[in-house]
Amino acid sequence: MPAIETAELTKRFGDLEALADLSLSVPEGELFALLGPNGSGKTTTIEILTGQLEPTSGTASVLGHDPVADPLAVRRAVGILPEREDPPSFLTPREYLEFVGAVRNLSDVSASIDDWADRFEFREKLDTLATDLSEGERQRVMLAAAFVHEPDLVFIDEPLVNLDPLMQEQIKGHFREYCERGNTVFLSTHFIEVAEELCTRVAIVSDGRLVAERNPQELDDGERLLDVFREEVGKSRAVPTGATD
Amino acid sequence: MALTLHLFRRMLREEWRLHEELFGGRRFGAFPVAIAVLAAGGFELLRVTGTGFDAVAAGLHGLVFFFGLQVGTIGLVGRDALRDVLGDVTLLVFSARTLPVSWNRLLAVFLLKDLVYYAVFFLAPLGIAAAPSALRTGVTPGRIGLFWVTLVGAFALGVTLSLTLAGLATRSKLAVVVPVAVLTAAVVTIGFDVVAYTPYALYLDPSAIAAVRGFAPVVAFAVLGPLLFQPVEGRAQRTSPGRFSRIRGVLADDTGLTTRALLDVSRSSGSVWKVLFSMGVLFGVTALLLGQITAATGLEPSPGIAFGTLLGLGAFTTYSWVTQFDDPDEYRRYPVSLGAVFAGKRRAYLLLSLPAGLLYLAIATIWYPPRELAVGLLVLPLVAVYVFGVTAYVAGLSATELLFDTVLFVAFGAALALVSIPMLVAALVYPTAPVTTTVGAVALSLVAAVVGWLLGSRAGPKWERRLRE
Repeated sequence: MPAIETAELTKRFGDLEALADLSLSVPEGELFALLGPNGSGKTTTIEILTGQLEPTSGTASVLGHDPVADPLAVRRAVGILPEREDPPSFLTPREYLEFVGAVRNLSDVSASIDDWADRFEFREKLDTLATDLSEGERQRVMLAAAFVHEPDLVFIDEPLVNLDPLMQEQIKGHFREYCERGNTVFLSTHFIEVAEELCTRVAIVSDGRLVAERNPQELDDGERLLDVFREEVGKSRAVPTGATD
Repeated sequence: MALTLHLFRRMLREEWRLHEELFGGRRFGAFPVAIAVLAAGGFELLRVTGTGFDAVAAGLHGLVFFFGLQVGTIGLVGRDALRDVLGDVTLLVFSARTLPVSWNRLLAVFLLKDLVYYAVFFLAPLGIAAAPSALRTGVTPGRIGLFWVTLVGAFALGVTLSLTLAGLATRSKLAVVVPVAVLTAAVVTIGFDVVAYTPYALYLDPSAIAAVRGFAPVVAFAVLGPLLFQPVEGRAQRTSPGRFSRIRGVLADDTGLTTRALLDVSRSSGSVWKVLFSMGVLFGVTALLLGQITAATGLEPSPGIAFGTLLGLGAFTTYSWVTQFDDPDEYRRYPVSLGAVFAGKRRAYLLLSLPAGLLYLAIATIWYPPRELAVGLLVLPLVAVYVFGVTAYVAGLSATELLFDTVLFVAFGAALALVSIPMLVAALVYPTAPVTTTVGAVALSLVAAVVGWLLGSRAGPKWERRLRE
C-alpha cells in the first residue's frame, strides 16, 4: 500500500485554482520531494494531505486514512513541520515537546526529549524560553516536534531554512536513516539542490499542476534536475493559470 | 519636525490600511456609527432611569481614563509585545532598529497616532451619542463640546500615565511603586484632591486655571513616557525550570491545552497581573457608577448583581489574553479538534478570571455588606461562562479583531447587551423587590451560562469548518 495516494486532487479558492487534478502515489520508505516555484501549490498539497484543508474535488489517502473524512486520524499518524512556524514563545523546548506529547496522548515523552535534543543539538537550550532562541534553534526544536512520536510518515515544508551547513548535513542524514527504516518523508521545497541530493523521487509542480516526476539518481547522462525544472515549468507557464503556495 | 509629521501621516495611513485589509473599508468605516448607536441607547437608558448628565459624564470620564490606561499598557511594556503584538502589524514601529529614527520619537508619534485614532473612532462617537440625551436634560451645546474635549483629555491622561509607569518600570520597579504609594497615601491621609489634576476638573469648573492644572499632567506624561521608556532588545536568554508537566499534573489536564494557555499568560509581559489589572478597571468603573447612581437618584442598586455582572463581562479581557499568544492554524497540525482547544482555553480563562473577580468582590466588602454582595458569587462565574461562549462563537481565537469589525462588534455587543442590560436593570430596581430581582438575576445568568456553554461547544466545529474551507 502506498504511504500517500491522491487522485485528481483539486483546490480552488474562489476563482483561483491552487491545485489542479493532482494525482500522486508515494510508496512507503520513499524520500519524496514536491518541487516547485513559489506559489505553485506545494503548501496547499501538504495542507490537504494532512487534513488542514478540504479539497474542492478529488480523493486522497494517507497511510490508509482519508484526510477529508478523518483528519484527526491522519494527524495522529503523521508528523508535520510547516514552513515558517516557531515553537510557542513562552514555552521552553522541553515544555513544548511535553506539550506535543500531551496533545498526541503519548504516555511519557520526557524520557525521549533529551535524545531528540542531542540529535538536533539543542540540549543546552532545553530550558530557554522559545522567544529567546535563534531562528535556527527554533527550527531544530520544530523538527524534533515533528518526529517526537516516531511517526511512519512526516510532512516537512522547507526543512533546511535557517540551519547552518553542518546542521543541514545532519538533518539530511537523519532523513535518509529514517527512510531506510521503512518510514516515508514528504518534503516540499523550492531548493532544487536539496531535492536533487536528498530525494529518491521528485515531483515538479507548477501553477498547481503536476508537470514532471523524476528519480534524481536516474536522470539521463548530463541531465540535471534544474534543466528538467526549467523546461517543464517553462512549458506549463506558457498557459497562464493562478495558484498559491 | 518634518520627519515627525511624515511619520505621523504614515502611521495613520498604515493603521487605516491594516483595518481596511482585515475587515474592508466600509465595515471598518461603519465602526464609529455602531459605537454611536450603542452609546446613544445607553445614554437614553440612563436618562430614563433618572441619572443626570453630570453623573453620566463623571462615570464616562472614569471609564475612558481606565480605557486609556489599558491602551497605553497593551503593546508597550516589553519586547514580547514589540515582537508578538506590534511586530506583525506595525511595520513602522517594528522597524525602529533599521530606520534612522530614534525609538523615543517613534514611540511618541505612535502614541499621538493612537490618541487621534481613538479620539476619532471611539470618543467622537461617544460625544455625538451623548448629545440627544444631554440636550433633553437641558445641557447646553457648549458644555457637550467641553465634555468631548475633557473626555479626550481623560483618555490621553490614561494612555500617557500608563506609558510613563511602564517607562519607569523598564528602569526600576521601585520607581513605580514609590510615586503610586505616595499619591495613594496623600489621597487617603490628607484628602489630596487628585481629580483637580485631571482634565475632568475642567468639565467641573470651566476656567483657565482648571484647564492648565487639569491638562498639565497629560503634557508632562506625554513627554516623560517616551523619554523614560527603554525597549528591551538585548539577547538575554530567559530560562525556566520545566513547569509544564507539574502544572498539567495538578490540573489533570490531559491534552495540556489549559496548561499551555496558563503558561503563555503568566510568562508574557505583565504576567497574571494584567488579568488583575483589567478586572480592576471594571471594578473601579462599577464602584464609580454605583456611587454616582446613588448620589444622583437616591437609589441603592444591588452591588452583588452589579459587580457580578460587570466583572463577569470584564472577563472578556482574560479571553483575549488566553487566546493572544497562539495561532489557530497551529492546532491544525495536531490530532486535536478545535473543540478541545476551546475547552482547554475555557478552563484557563475561568482559572484566571474567576479568582481575580472574586478577589474584587472580597475587596468590595470594605464598602458593602457581604450579604448584599453574596449574589455576585453566583452571577460572576455564570456571566463569565456566557461571555466566553459568545466570544468564542463570534470571534473564534482572534478576539481582539472583533473590536474593529463593525458587524462582529455589533453582534457581540448585542449578545452581551441581551444579558447585561436586564441584569443591570435588576441591580437598579433591587431596592423595590430584593428577593424577586435577586432570584431573577440568578435565573437569567444561569440561562445565559447554559447558552454560553452551548455556544462555546459549537465554536470548535464552526471555526474548524471555516479553517478547512
